[in-house]
Amino acid sequence: MDGVLIPTLVSGLLLGSLYALMASGLSLIWTTLGVFNFAHGALMTVGAYFAWTVSEQLGLGLFTGFVAGIGAAVIAGVLIELLLVRPFYGNRSMMLITVMTTLAASTILERGISIIWGPRLKQLPRVVEGQVEIFGAPVSAHEALIIVLAPVVLLALWWYTGRTRSGRSLRAVGQNASSAALIGIDVPRTFSLAFGLSAALAGLTGVLLGSIRFVTPGLGTDPLVNAMIVVIFGGLGSMGATAGAAYVIGMMEALLILWLGLYWTPAVLFMALILVLVFRPNGLFGRAA
Amino acid sequence: MSRLLDVQGVRAGYATVPVLHGIDLHVGDGEAIGLFGPNGHGKTTLLHTISGLLTPTSGTILFDGQDITGAKPSAIVAAGLVQAQQGNTLFGDMGVEETLELAAFSPRARDGWQTRLEEVHSLFPRLAERRRQRAKTLSGGERQMLSIGCSMMCNPRLLILDEPTLGLSPRLKAELRDAISEIARRGVPLIVVEQDVEFLLALAGRLYLVEQGEVASEIDRDNAPDHQEIMDMYFGKQAH
Repeated sequence: MDGVLIPTLVSGLLLGSLYALMASGLSLIWTTLGVFNFAHGALMTVGAYFAWTVSEQLGLGLFTGFVAGIGAAVIAGVLIELLLVRPFYGNRSMMLITVMTTLAASTILERGISIIWGPRLKQLPRVVEGQVEIFGAPVSAHEALIIVLAPVVLLALWWYTGRTRSGRSLRAVGQNASSAALIGIDVPRTFSLAFGLSAALAGLTGVLLGSIRFVTPGLGTDPLVNAMIVVIFGGLGSMGATAGAAYVIGMMEALLILWLGLYWTPAVLFMALILVLVFRPNGLFGRAA
Repeated sequence: MSRLLDVQGVRAGYATVPVLHGIDLHVGDGEAIGLFGPNGHGKTTLLHTISGLLTPTSGTILFDGQDITGAKPSAIVAAGLVQAQQGNTLFGDMGVEETLELAAFSPRARDGWQTRLEEVHSLFPRLAERRRQRAKTLSGGERQMLSIGCSMMCNPRLLILDEPTLGLSPRLKAELRDAISEIARRGVPLIVVEQDVEFLLALAGRLYLVEQGEVASEIDRDNAPDHQEIMDMYFGKQAH
């Protein structure tokens, strides 16, 4: 058992890091606009494909590919906000309408990608080659990089939203848009900022994921369901709670796959989500409203 | 006296319900004016229209000679026309100090924000005591102080206060009124909405009575009405 447990926990840590990166992007939009962006996974895929084209097809190098991938995700994210979210701002059913419009965006992006890039699997090169050991379990250096990078990105986000003028303005708009407007914050511009930042996170996650999994049109949409479980599990809104939940879900998933197999894992995760919502309606780490 | 704010024939409302039927009023540079009148007759709608939260259906609003009709609220604050909201919770999960710092958001408010923060603390010492406290845990009076404090952090050239003492205890009311008088003494032009006409007359040179979406009358200190006349304005002339 010992020989399997440590590698499983390390792979849980990796999953948790990915979910933390994804969920922090989702929660950034949720806290600012009160909208769930179902196209978040598709934005990751956009990032990975653009990175692949620039770095592999055009041969401009991995770094340029990263920049292009994140840039493409940001442009797509801001366009989604402008075209599919902003027209419904102030509408009483905004949240439900944007569920549909962002789901539509997700499908459009995913299909568009398979038309442009075709069905052949692609893979991005690793940022760092070689292997390292975590608690005696061998891990590729690239995966170790993701494990280290996730908390760094989360800390940077926490600092940004807590300490900087523009980061604080995101929180202010989320908590009271009309008061924010009355102290001079441009509310629509803040919405675009939230979408752009969230899309940058999606693009980053997408290009990192593209070198440990095959780049397919479903690259980002597949893990999105679990990232959403994370956001709800953690209690909507708080960055720290979301990060904590990401690691809990990642670990749970890895252990469940080990003990129950791939088939039952999603069912048990959803069961856990339902139980959490029954006994702690504000999420596992959520405060009472 | 040159006109700092000039509201000309403004009509506005919500969806299909018109509320304002052509409002004319003006504020001179360095002047404080008061608005009063029964509830539900358009005072708050008028203020929201001036600060850009609502777009007028017709009419013009000039601020410092510039046409700000239909401008974005953020642009209006950036020009120095700032409104403190009535009974506002502001940003529930933000601390008092953090909120005040954030309120110095537009470019005109950034220079010297530390000095302004000290001014706000001297106006409302309670806000200095509650630096780290979250806005949603403040009392009604403290929220009102924070709301006015935020507006002061915006470095206003004209400050709008919408019923700043609504629902407060007499002691807090007096405390806030002293602070508002102090703001006026510091030379910030004001538009104040209040139900207490005597307080408004002590504070402001001119008063507008807003009734049924119109300016029903304009009074100043020289033709100030007595108590009975004010009651008549509110409740209509009664047979004695």
